Amino acid sequence: MIYLIVNHKKQSDKKIYLLNRLFAINKIKNMSKTIKILGTGCPKCKTTIAIVEEVVNENNINASVEKVEDIMEIMKYNVLLTPVLVIDEEIKIKGRVPSKKEVEELLK
Amino acid sequence: MKLAKEICPTTTLGKVHKGALIVDVRKEEEVAQVTFDVPNYINIPIDELEDHINEIPKDKEIVMVCLSGERSLKTTYFLMNAGYENVFNMRDGIIKWVAKGFPTKGDVASLQSISSCDCSSSNCC
Repeated sequence: MIYLIVNHKKQSDKKIYLLNRLFAINKIKNMSKTIKILGTGCPKCKTTIAIVEEVVNENNINASVEKVEDIMEIMKYNVLLTPVLVIDEEIKIKGRVPSKKEVEELLK
Repeated sequence: MKLAKEICPTTTLGKVHKGALIVDVRKEEEVAQVTFDVPNYINIPIDELEDHINEIPKDKEIVMVCLSGERSLKTTYFLMNAGYENVFNMRDGIIKWVAKGFPTKGDVASLQSISSCDCSSSNCC
């Protein structure tokens, strides 16, 4: 009987712990920015990726940085000139390498 | 999104003979060096295409071309998104066109330094 009570408490604690983790993950997810860099792998695109990653790391910005090199995916945004910086599905900069300061401003 | 229709230089030349329009999206300075010697040809650099899209007829077959076929593929999708149905991309660009010995104007040798086309596709003629 004692064993059952203890075991039940353990399971209950585990449930609470898992729920808390789930809430925490969701909270992080909600706050996180989604950054996409569209480009077919040219030097300008690589420079843009490096700048964005530098800004994200230096400022501890909660964001996912994704390189999009597939032409079909790129053209879903209907852009002719790359690199393109997309933040939360909104095109912010296209056809040029942004400055570090610009990226910082956009991610504030 | 539909896949862009891609064709090789030989098919492109066949379409040109039937009245298709070649739209070259290279920069003016690239075109000044070497270009396509075909009757129905216009040059609209990729960064000007958005402003000059109305110059491209919708009732003709259109073949988009560039140096290697990469820029022109983007513009093919751009035209498709704008409602063009008879638009094609010429794979491997003017590099392959020259390699096939098709008509050109200008200095073909200027392409040699960048002729690194290593097409291994079985569909490429």
